[in-house]
Parts: sequence; C-alpha cells; structure tokens
Amino acid sequence: MSSNDTSAITCRNLWQVFGTDAQTALSGALSRSGNDPQSAARELREGGLIPAVQDASFEVGRGELFVIMGLSGSGKSTLVRCISQLLPGTGGEILIDGENVVTASKKRLTELRRSKLGMVFQHFGLFPHMTVAENVAYPLRVKGFRKAERLARAQEVISLVGLEGREHSFPRQLSGGQRQRVGIARSLAVNPDIWFLDEPFSALDPLIRRQLQDEFLNIQATLKKSIVFITHDITEALKLADRIAIMRDGKIVQIGTPTEIVLHPVDDYVREFSKDVAKGQHARVASIMGDSDARVGADDPQLTTSMTLDVALAHCMELYEPVPVRDSAGAVVGTVNPSDLAAALQVEET
Amino acid sequence: MSAAETSVTARLESMNAGAKAALLTLIVGATCLMLEPFAPWLIKWPAAWVLPATDWVGDGLSWVLEAVKPFARACSDILSYPMDWANVALNGTPWPIVIGIVTAAGWYLGGLPMAALGFLGLSFVLSSGYWFQSMNTLALVAVSVPLAITLGGTLGILANEIPRIKSALQTVLDVMQTVPTFAYLTPILVLFGFGPVVGLIASAIYAAPPMARNVLLGLERIEPEIKEAAIMSGGTRLQQLFQIEIPSASTQIMVGVNQCLMAALSMVIIAAVIGGFDDIGWEVLLTMRKAQFGQALLAGLVIVAFAIIIDRMSGALATERKRYAPFVSWVILGVSVLFTVLLWKYLPNPNDLRFLDPVAETVDQGLSTFTVANGASLDSFKNNAMFYGLLPLRIGLDNAVLPFTWGFSWTAAMSGWLFAGAGVVGLLLAWRGHVTAGLILVILTGILETGIAELPWPFVLCAVAALGWVASGRKLALVSVLLLATILLAGLWERSLLSLYLSGAAVFACALFGGLIGLLCAVSPMAWRVMRPVCDMLQTIPLFVFLIPVLMVFQIGEFSAFLAICAYAIVPMIRYTRHGLINTPDEMIESAISSGATEWQILRDIRAPYAAPSILLGLNQTILYAFAMLVIAALIGTTGLGQSIYLALGKADVGLGISAGAAMAILAMIADRIVQGFAEERRQVLGL
Repeated sequence: MSSNDTSAITCRNLWQVFGTDAQTALSGALSRSGNDPQSAARELREGGLIPAVQDASFEVGRGELFVIMGLSGSGKSTLVRCISQLLPGTGGEILIDGENVVTASKKRLTELRRSKLGMVFQHFGLFPHMTVAENVAYPLRVKGFRKAERLARAQEVISLVGLEGREHSFPRQLSGGQRQRVGIARSLAVNPDIWFLDEPFSALDPLIRRQLQDEFLNIQATLKKSIVFITHDITEALKLADRIAIMRDGKIVQIGTPTEIVLHPVDDYVREFSKDVAKGQHARVASIMGDSDARVGADDPQLTTSMTLDVALAHCMELYEPVPVRDSAGAVVGTVNPSDLAAALQVEET
Repeated sequence: MSAAETSVTARLESMNAGAKAALLTLIVGATCLMLEPFAPWLIKWPAAWVLPATDWVGDGLSWVLEAVKPFARACSDILSYPMDWANVALNGTPWPIVIGIVTAAGWYLGGLPMAALGFLGLSFVLSSGYWFQSMNTLALVAVSVPLAITLGGTLGILANEIPRIKSALQTVLDVMQTVPTFAYLTPILVLFGFGPVVGLIASAIYAAPPMARNVLLGLERIEPEIKEAAIMSGGTRLQQLFQIEIPSASTQIMVGVNQCLMAALSMVIIAAVIGGFDDIGWEVLLTMRKAQFGQALLAGLVIVAFAIIIDRMSGALATERKRYAPFVSWVILGVSVLFTVLLWKYLPNPNDLRFLDPVAETVDQGLSTFTVANGASLDSFKNNAMFYGLLPLRIGLDNAVLPFTWGFSWTAAMSGWLFAGAGVVGLLLAWRGHVTAGLILVILTGILETGIAELPWPFVLCAVAALGWVASGRKLALVSVLLLATILLAGLWERSLLSLYLSGAAVFACALFGGLIGLLCAVSPMAWRVMRPVCDMLQTIPLFVFLIPVLMVFQIGEFSAFLAICAYAIVPMIRYTRHGLINTPDEMIESAISSGATEWQILRDIRAPYAAPSILLGLNQTILYAFAMLVIAALIGTTGLGQSIYLALGKADVGLGISAGAAMAILAMIADRIVQGFAEERRQVLGL
C-alpha cells in the first residue's frame, strides 16, 4: 500500500468499453492478445464495441492538480466519469484514498460522494427548480442536514465563489459564468477532498473563462484539493496543471508537467498541440537548468527556478556567459547558459 | 387603525397568490354553507331565474338550419352516389380478393408481420359473420376520409398562407376538439335527414381537424433554409408550396392522415347511434341492447381489428421509410385472384360464415355462469365503490352516510368534528409554512362533506376564478366566470355539476393510478414492456367498444360508466408521467448522483419536479379524454350533460343538444386552460 499512502487517486489498467456484454468481450480480448492493449482494442473495435478508455494508468497525488487533456471524442470525459463512478468501469481498478471504488457497494459510493467527492459539469447541471442557495445546499440536504445548518454552509461557499446577493436567484436568471460559479460552489458544499471538474469553463466566453481560471487557482491555493480537471484547451491545461495527461483515441499518450509536455513531447500528436503555444510563457527555468558547480560568468541577473523562460530571457538579454539560478529561498541551485534559453524557445519548423 | 389590524393586513400582503385565492374561496364557501338554511337559492339556482336560452338557441339554429336545408339535402343526395359506389365496390368484390389486397398492402408497408396482421385480422372478420356490416362501415370511412383530408388539408394550407386565418382556425379547432361527438350529430341530423349520410358528414367534419392541425404543424416546422432555398431557386409561391414545402412536411402530413383515419372510423361507429344503416357499430349497439354480450364483444372485436389494421398500416406509411419488395405483394394478389377464380362455385357467402357464433355463445354462457357465481362479490365490489366512494363525492357525506350503508347516520355534530379536524390539520400545515396546502385541505373537506353535485354556485364560481387567476391571470379568471355564468343562466347548472362530479372522480382515479403506473414504468423497463402494448391498444380502440366489457360485468349504471371512462382516460396519464420522469437531462442526474443523492432522492427532488409540466399535460389530456368518453358513456347510464345530449339526439332537439354540448365544451375548455396555465407556469420556473 506504499503508493496509496501518498496518492489520492490511483488508476490501474482502467478500461471502459461500450457495447453489449462489454465485460466478457474485454476479458476475452485481453487474454487472447496476452494483455496487449493495442491489439485488444483493435479486436474489440472489430467486434462492434467501442473501447472509449483503454488501459489508463496514473496516480493523482494529494493536493495535486491533475489535468486530463484531449480533443473531443478522445475519452477524457468518459475517464473522469469512470473515476467518479458515474459509469461503472469495464476493467481495471480505481483506488480513492486506497479504497477500491470499483468493487464498492452502491451505498458506500453514495457515502463517498456525500463526504469526499465533488464534481463540476461542463453545462453546469444546475437544478432549474431550485434557487442558487438550494442548489448549493442540495448535497447537504440529501445528507440530512437541517435547513438552517445547510443554508449557513451554502452561504460560506457562495461567498467563496463571489456570488453573494444572488442566493435567491434561479439558475435561469444568471449568466453562464455565474451559473458555473454555482456549480463550483455546489461541488464544494460538502468540503470534499477530491474534486472532479469536467470541462468546467469550456462553455464560457474567453474573457469570463480567464477570470474564472484565475479565481479557480486562488481557491485551489487555499483549499489544496486533489483535483482531476478535464479540458480540451492546451492553454488552460498548461496554465492550471501540476501535471497533464494527454489522451488520444482512448489512450493516455503522455503524462508530464507542463514544461515536459511543451519541451519534450513524446510524439507528433502532442507536438502538434504545443506547437502554437508560446513556450516561453509555460516552460520554467528549472527545466533547462544545468549543474550548480558549472562555471558561471561575472553577471548575476537574479534568475530563479520558477521564472518562465520569457522572463528569464528578458533578464539576460545582453549576457553571453552562464549565469547562476536561485531557488525561492535564495540559494544557488544551478546555472543557465543564456544561449540555451534562446534555443529552448526556438519554434520547431516541422 | 389598531395594531392588530395592521399586522393582519401585513400578513395578508405577505401571502402568495395561491394562498390568497384559496383563502377567498374558503371564505365564500363557508359563508354559503352558513347561509344555506336561510337562502336555498345559493345551492339550487331557482328555475325562475333561468333564461330560456336553450329554446333561443333551438329557434335560432332551426331557422338557420331550415335556410340551409335545401342545399344540405342536395349535398346529401350527391354524396350518396360515391357512397353507393364504395358500397358496391367493397361488397361486390369477392372477399378473398379484399383479403388479398389488404395482405399485399400489409407486406409492402411492413413486411411479414404487417401482412400477417392484415391477413389474420380480416380472416377474423370473415369468420365472425360480420363481413357485410364491416364492408358497409368501411365504405363510409372510404368516402369520408378523402373528404376530411381535402377539407383539413385545404384549411391547414390556407392557415399557413394567410396569418389572419391561422389564429381564427386554431381557435375553431380547439373548440371542435372539446365539443362532444354526439353534439355534432343533432344539427347534422336535422340538416341531412336520417340515413348513412349523417354518419358520413359527421365523420368527415370530426376527422378534418387533426388533418388541418398536422398540415399546419408540418408546414410551420420546415427549416427556414429550405424555404429560402426554394425562393432563391425562383419558384412561384405555388411551386414552392407543392414542390418543396408539402413534400418536406410529408411525414407530419401522413401522421395527420393516420389520425384522420382513426377519427373517421371512431365517428362512423358512434354515428351508428342514429341507426338506419346496417353497419358494424349498429350491430354492437343492437346486440348490447339485447344483452347478447358474446355477440356484442365479437362485433366490438371486429371494430378493434379494423382499428388496429388501419392504424398500424397508415402509421407505417407515415413514419417508416423502409418498403418491402412489391413483387411479393403482386404474388399475394395473384394468389387471391386465382383462389377466387378456381373456387368461385364453392365460395360461401361471407354472411353465412358464422364460425365464431359458438364462441360468442360460450362467452355468453360463461359470462352468465360467472356472474351467477361471482354475482355477490361483484355486486359488493360495485356497491362498496358506489356507497363509500362515488356517492359521498356526489351528494356529500351529510347525505350519503346512512344507517343502511354506513351503519350510522350523519349528524350535524359529525360535520362539526370533521371540520374541526380539518381545521386543526390545516392550521398545523400553515404553521409549518404550507399555508396554501392547509387552506386547500379545509376546502376539500368542505367539498367532501357537501358533495360536488350540491355545491353552492357562488363557491364554484369563486373556486374556478381563483384557480384560473393563479394558473394564468385575471383574463382566464374572468372568462371562466362568464362562461360558467352562461351555463347557470341557461339552466344547465345541475346537470353540469353531475357531469363534473363523474368526470372529476374518473380523472382523480386516473391521475392516481395512472401516475403510479407511469412511475412504475419509469422505474422498471420490464413494467413498461408490459404496459406499452396495453396503452397502444387502449388508444387504438374506438370509444364505443369500451362500453362492452364493463357492461358485461357490471350492468348498466354509473359505476360501469365510471370504469369505461377510467379505462379510456388513464392512458395519457401513464404515458406522460413516464415520459416526463425518464427524460431528465443526463447532466442533472449526474450532478445529483455526485451530490450523493440516492435513487429515491433523485426521483423525488430532481426527476419529479422536472417532470411536472409533462405530467400536467398528461393530466390535461386525461381530462379531455374523460369528457369525450363521458358523453359516450351516457349510452350506459350516466346523468348530467351527456344524458341530455343523448336525449336531444333521440328527439332531434337541436336547442338542447347544442346547448348541452356547448356546456360540456365550456367545462372541458376551462379545465384545459387552467391545467395548461399551471403547466406553463411550471415550464417557466424550469426555464424551458
């Protein structure tokens, strides 16, 4: 159980296959192919089934913001629904805080949802016949809280998302951005440890989206939830994520930090994604930093590990010698050659 | 103004509309009850105050009808030609060929199952011995449907072309839908004289509205881009209409044809009440009157067979794209012709075939054995339902509770206790924040104590106005009160209350049981798989046929009528409840699940509120169905407006027929608008 002690969510060889008798078909296909996911998936597809998630394995650490990114139809929404058990997975296991939720009873799942899990939906999933306050308090109502108690708690989260004064409005009276704030508040009402967000900002205008992303980061900075965040927008993924999993056709093709994804894409598919991204805004100095005992020049432009490459380059515009890099405490932890900085920012031609 | 008074006004102002309306109704009702001993006119509208409106309507209409009569009679003469031709064609064609044609058409439209349906259905008709009567009925349908399609289609297209006609037409169609079928018959009878042409005209008039509605709907629903493309292609208006728009709307129009056929068949059978024509509806009526229930059931099943064949085939024509090899159809046809030619000498006269007579007799005997054996328990079931359910609802606990049935007699003290109890529970509810519910509880208790048929008219007017006001606003309240006042003045009030009581009881039963069955079907797919064919069946059967089984078991009377109404009116409630409950958007269900709600909590908190508009529409349909059946049920013993309409038909009394029909339509329309109002309000709350 060593890895479970540190990770909030563990997925091992998770499959979600749609079609009749999917479970038998999957185990048959896997045993025939000798557990090779590629050929098993091919066999399933030939049999008229749809392997929406294939052999997904990953861990989400405590307090980590884990983003799953992919185009529509890549299986990312299906994957998050497997983890939250809105869909029963076809194969593999999912551990939440070390507890296997695939085999958990319906009752236990309801309990988990009432205490530990929260979810935000792309189209908000608000209940149209309830006011904002009632929507937000609904998870507490099904839990059996008394009215005064649950409204008091709802009020807290409503202020957290900045919706004071709209408690008695109905969803239809709110703008898209406000509606999603309600969705966020509702998912936080029971103060869950684990937070699923399924494309929460995709249905919003770009300006509102950016504003909500910033607020979301602020909320996360104070709450420190373990998060699975789904998006199809690479900029959003790079902005928010601690780590990103990139999905394609039901498979996870790469898992890595934003910098790794941008600087070391595993294949053309991932490279294609990051092509249009201004790398300098996402990659950090730490990712290209050399040894601390390397020779440094006389200049010290005060670089730190967490600086983006763009900022770092601006600091050493006139420099040609390697310069020292400091961590947040101010100790020198490495060196960077300005020419490497410039090289890392080169846009690839192919 | 004292402090107490201020607080009372403040309280009143803080109440919501529903509570205010309920409070007002309660006050009016209570006042009426208290004044009753001193002012009996509050309950019974005095005859002296009745305007002879029925006579005026009769005189006025007779004058108009007399003026139109020569023209109508000419029409009737002209129409008798195509009818005779259809008759000759259908009865003259040897029966194997008729069966062959229907089977071949069935194959072409729906493959083997449909061909089998056609073949078996007509074989059943043949062996029942009602071939001749059936062909007569079909001949009526065959002439009336083209008339109805032309009439309805023209109206629908005109309404689409000329916006000013549209709203007028829609109002007329709404009214026609609520006017009971029998009410059509009286003026037509006067105009066209006795004979099959009356059934023909009535069914053409009755079947035209669904056609018009669907044509209009189909034309309105065409995508704007298709219309714009037709315009940009340079077509004239007529070219656009006939080359682009009507073909684009063909599916909806064919749905209209399907409904038109079913309505025509239903009306042709109802029109048999007038008599004078040897068709299958008349056969049912005749055998029913002679208490030959086996034969009546057989004839009824013949009607059902026709209804199902016509419905399924025209339905496939409308909605199924797939067609089957015409070659097979030709082979079937060829075989039937060959069969006829080879066996010409041996072909029996279809009316001599009475293979099923023994079955009918067995049913008759079985039934009499059954009623003899279970007579006591059936009677006690019926009596219990009457004495403890329907009767108190009709004449109130104060009159229905007698030592003879309940074992004690109702006293004023008991009324006092009942009201006190209701008052305490009502106050409790109000104290818990449900003011409206508390008030409504007290009002309902009052209605139960008094009985619907003996409610004071000011109370009814006030209650309807209150409902109308809450459901939709001042306009509906005003219109409802004016229309009800017309009934009051025309002297049809008591009969209206009787109709209201019986249909109200049936609607209540349908809402309760239909709602529960709908819920069950929503929860369990198994239950729906069982219920679905039952619902389809009940909706295909012409109204008339519902009377046979209830009559067989429970004889003539109000209880049989009640059961027949319920059997017919429960279907929309089941369908709409299920539909509403299972059509909650996925994301709402998912967010409820991830909020930690259990299945039951999701049903109660999310699905049910979301389904409310749909369930209300189902209730609305149920009410309209109940009113429609109420008039038909007059044949087997109901009091009230239905009976008046039926009697008027017998006496060819146009005034009474039309007035009672109008009163019925008024009741149906008010109920329709109020429930629609509530449904609309729910939809708005849900942001739909």
